[in-house]
Amino acid sequence: MAQKKVRVLVGTRKGTYIVESDTRRRSWKVRPVSNAGRDIFHVTADPRRPGTLFAAVNSGFWGPIVYRSSDWGKSWREVATPLTPVAKSREPMFDPDSPAAKGRPVINLWHIAPGHPSEPKTVFIGTDPHGLFRSDDRGESWSPVSWVQDHPDRKNWSPGAGGPCLHTILVDPRDPKRMYIGMSAVGTFRSDDAGAHWHPTNQGVETPFQPEKFPETGQCVHHVALDAEDPEVAYRQDHGGMYVNRHGMEGRWERVGKLKGAPPDDFGFAVTSAPALPGRAFFVPLGGEARTTLRGGLDVWEWNDRTRRWRSVLSPKLFPGDYGVQREGIAADALEPAGLYVGTTTGQLVVSPDAGRSWTLVPYQFPGIHSVEAAVG
Amino acid sequence: MAEVHLDAMLREFAPRRNFVSDAPTLDALLDELERDSPRLRHKLRDETGVLRRYVKVFVDGREVGASAGLATSLEGARTVDILHSIAGG
Repeated sequence: MAQKKVRVLVGTRKGTYIVESDTRRRSWKVRPVSNAGRDIFHVTADPRRPGTLFAAVNSGFWGPIVYRSSDWGKSWREVATPLTPVAKSREPMFDPDSPAAKGRPVINLWHIAPGHPSEPKTVFIGTDPHGLFRSDDRGESWSPVSWVQDHPDRKNWSPGAGGPCLHTILVDPRDPKRMYIGMSAVGTFRSDDAGAHWHPTNQGVETPFQPEKFPETGQCVHHVALDAEDPEVAYRQDHGGMYVNRHGMEGRWERVGKLKGAPPDDFGFAVTSAPALPGRAFFVPLGGEARTTLRGGLDVWEWNDRTRRWRSVLSPKLFPGDYGVQREGIAADALEPAGLYVGTTTGQLVVSPDAGRSWTLVPYQFPGIHSVEAAVG
Repeated sequence: MAEVHLDAMLREFAPRRNFVSDAPTLDALLDELERDSPRLRHKLRDETGVLRRYVKVFVDGREVGASAGLATSLEGARTVDILHSIAGG
């Protein structure tokens, strides 16, 4: 039987990289780039079909393109790309009188999320402008989730600095009908009917960038991760701080980023949780106008929701410098002990094979990293 | 009849680099091109039908953005060049 491999899926400003190791995760091999020159906002593995990867490719010349691989990224095939349904289209995708029909074209693909295990061909994708699309044939065709496209308040949704994007899609592992989405400068929403209806879930999340500090929507969520053991618990990195919610995103979020012992600033973009570390989340605090690390080096913090304690798990002395880390810039694998992976906007990929006790730099200078994901198989 | 030249970077999506077309307008030429090479759909024009920002088309050496855009008539045109613009970094 073939030995299992760990693959880090790295989306960069100039292409997709697959970085491989055995399960000890001490030595890494960087495979040749694919989709060279293109902005890869996210690469994800489909755990329901080992070896299948999806890449959200954004070409400055030719627009957004979805690619799929069936061999762990050795080869890629273009599949269908979600499109804004427009009245002028020669092949309208749905009602041309829809408000969305007057919308802008899809300019960037932000996030791809495999669906629930009970729906093995379902895949979701989030776009700029704010859009959620669903495929039930592994990306061969896409349908807009019309609530997002047709929302009456959509005209009031503002873009964040990264554009008006839907960048977070979470499917509850216990129930395919329960989903959560996150949109920049709009906030998080929950659906209990597979996307037909959604309600905002931003209570207690501060909006320091506008006069009303706790509106129902308008929060600039940066990323959210569900707890690996208890998906009622969600960890949120928002423009307005680091938060936890323990009730399926209902009710108030608690701002844990201001508790005693917290990171130097609770601003940041990235957050992840690890299957082997229930009750914990990992954040990369950033700050200042530069939106870079604050303590003179790469900095990763663990929030333990069971002990309610913060802990620095990567000393900034180890990788000195001023680093940026984007919303998909930290990931964990499913091994025990958990592997942690951080990709920086200046192209460093650092790895911890032991839940943050030790760290190494993958000896390869990548282009600026947008996203990292880890897959074992 | 216009001789059409495609940028080498488009080879990924369109196998033919040069061909001859009698399409009456640039829009019709792009329709023809997409029928011939379906992977070109939405690469040159987005789904609203607008030419992508960094796609440049020249008819007889004149950039169409400066004239009638996609409605540019190809009647009497001798060459159409479809290129990507100077961009990147």
